Amino acid sequence: MMGNLLEHMGIDRDRIHFSWISSAEATKFVDVVREISEKVRALGPNKKFVKDYTK
Amino acid sequence: MDTCIEKIRAIGADLLAKGTVEKVIGFADGSIPMATRPIALTSDKEVDKLVFNSVCGLNLANYVSKNSLSSKEGKIAVVAKGCDARNLVTHIVENQISREQIYIIGVPCTGMVDKRKIAALFDDEITGFEEHGDTLTITSASKTETVKKADVLRHNCRVCTHSNPPVYDVMAGDPVEEQTLDHPYEDVDQIAAMDLDARWAYFENLTKNCIRCYACRNACPLCYCPTCFVDESSPQWVGKGQNEIDVTTFHFLRAFHCAGRCTDCGACVEACPMGINVRDFTRKLNKDALELFGWEAGLVLDKRPPLDAYSPNDPNDFIK
Amino acid sequence: MNFITIDKKDWAPGIDKSRKTFRVYGPVEDENGCQIKPLAPDTAPKMDAPVTVMSAKSVLFPQTEKILTATLDESKQDHHVMTPVETDDMPRVVLGIRPYDAKAVQLVKLNFDNPDYQDPYWCAAYEATTFVGLGVTHPGPCDFSTAVGCGPFSEEGLDVLMADMDDKYLAKILTKKGENWVAACGFDTEADPKESQVLFDVLRKEAEKQIQTDLATDKLAGKTILDLYDAPFWDDVAFSCINCGTCTYVCPTCWCFDIQDETRHNTAVRFRNWDTCMSSLFTHHASGHNPRGTKVHRVRQRFMHKLKYFLDKYDQGIMCVGCGRCVASCPVNIDIREVCNRMNDYETTK
Repeated sequence: MMGNLLEHMGIDRDRIHFSWISSAEATKFVDVVREISEKVRALGPNKKFVKDYTK
Repeated sequence: MDTCIEKIRAIGADLLAKGTVEKVIGFADGSIPMATRPIALTSDKEVDKLVFNSVCGLNLANYVSKNSLSSKEGKIAVVAKGCDARNLVTHIVENQISREQIYIIGVPCTGMVDKRKIAALFDDEITGFEEHGDTLTITSASKTETVKKADVLRHNCRVCTHSNPPVYDVMAGDPVEEQTLDHPYEDVDQIAAMDLDARWAYFENLTKNCIRCYACRNACPLCYCPTCFVDESSPQWVGKGQNEIDVTTFHFLRAFHCAGRCTDCGACVEACPMGINVRDFTRKLNKDALELFGWEAGLVLDKRPPLDAYSPNDPNDFIK
Repeated sequence: MNFITIDKKDWAPGIDKSRKTFRVYGPVEDENGCQIKPLAPDTAPKMDAPVTVMSAKSVLFPQTEKILTATLDESKQDHHVMTPVETDDMPRVVLGIRPYDAKAVQLVKLNFDNPDYQDPYWCAAYEATTFVGLGVTHPGPCDFSTAVGCGPFSEEGLDVLMADMDDKYLAKILTKKGENWVAACGFDTEADPKESQVLFDVLRKEAEKQIQTDLATDKLAGKTILDLYDAPFWDDVAFSCINCGTCTYVCPTCWCFDIQDETRHNTAVRFRNWDTCMSSLFTHHASGHNPRGTKVHRVRQRFMHKLKYFLDKYDQGIMCVGCGRCVASCPVNIDIREVCNRMNDYETTK
């Protein structure tokens, strides 16, 4: 529901990720983080929900 | 419309006179047109102060929670519309109060009016407000307007499908007919139809005049946390200024804390001095709670809220 | 030149002309109602606006104000040293404010600009600001300004007071600042001083007659703080209060603030934000103790400050100009007029 609300507010679904990873699943953790990083890198810098201190 | 007020007063007087309850919490007339104020009565001699009309827009469940009740207090009667009663049920389910502590005087509700919509009919300030049945007569220095109550109902009342209290000790009137809606979440769908950037812009615009007075939070019966996350200082989760991201963070997270709990009573919008429709946040969650879990908050005493319990059938396709 | 008339046809062009030397604020309407805001180029102030939800205090005292910054970059010589931010001291004019909002500025001034302490940010903004008020010809049901030493045509704190005469404004120039603004707009149609004053007096009396309120403050000064503090009615007053900050934020005379530091990467910023005595955080000590731990404490504090402590400290009346915004905006209709009368009428039985 949180992901849905964020998406409803205009946050790209690809920036939100939920996974179950056990403490024993080191390789899964690495794979998931790699996958997310690649997705987010492809999307470019996020402009929403980012505080601008220059203002 | 029979506002049930005579019955409410009689019930209240009887409860107080017999000592069944220590207090009756209801609405009293306000000092300006279209205003009412929550009031607690302790004597049956005072029940004439009670009123019930179309401007009782706050939620009285807000006045009975762990924070506001001491355990020493006896039973308390609450005048409850459909939504107030649902929030009392939510309080009981969330262990804020016990069923035995509360005496619910149920009122079949015909909806509350949108004061801003009425104010918008005038260029000057409203000096008088009268209600006769389903007709409202509103006056200002320059003119008098007569409107049908149905035309100026608050949005949450227009889409309400639980006008009658689902749980009560006594009803102050005959139940009103509940409506069924073909598109209960049209407002949510309208936002969902926009593209991502338009949605973000929509919510940015929605909260642009927020002054962070927290009236929405404090009018909400669900917001009974002893310390709200925005008031925490170690660690401090959110900036306290008017930065729009901090403002949005407050609204987003407060709404999420109401996920699966909100009864759409509209007290948040009613309380907002800026008239911000903060329900745009909670309505999405209510829609999801209904679609994903078949859940509407505050209807039954013997079921746990969806985010409070685990079921193997819970939708989990969001976990990747 | 004390009085001028301004043809409404010349109003917007005149304002535009003044933009060379003035930043212009005025009532602006959007979906959340009317507010005093900076006027975007080519927009005219909404002069027939109803009472703005918020007062004009934010022009001098913004809800969030950046006051100091520092760099945390240790390679820089001045790292961790707070330095004032550049402020824009360009003269500014606030158009169409209600007279009580100008009087409120004078009350706030007692706090921000006094022999013991001069707040540099507030004082600089005050110096730079010209207040052009518009008399209130139809005061609303919440207005009780006449009961607290102000009124719909009060001149206190204003630089120019205008009256709406259908196709034109009649303006009374009250100060040098007012003269400068009038000159910058190019308004120069002189009006007969005697006749104009008569007109103002008629309008003032008409408007004052419409304010019906039985507020009494005469006995507040004679009571002791402790008697009022211990009065039995506070639980009753506070019952319905939900402890939001609405009353204090909409109030033109509430001046309390909080200082917050925020850092991100190598930038540190110190902000000043409005604070509210309605919040439990307002008096929450680092030890965890809170001397105003319940809402009854906080509600009492608000009214005692406005109606008693301020009166005793400054001897300038109560800290209220009767705008009625707190009455209109309070979600639970706590009415300062009723509370004031209860305090005023309270006789201790001791």
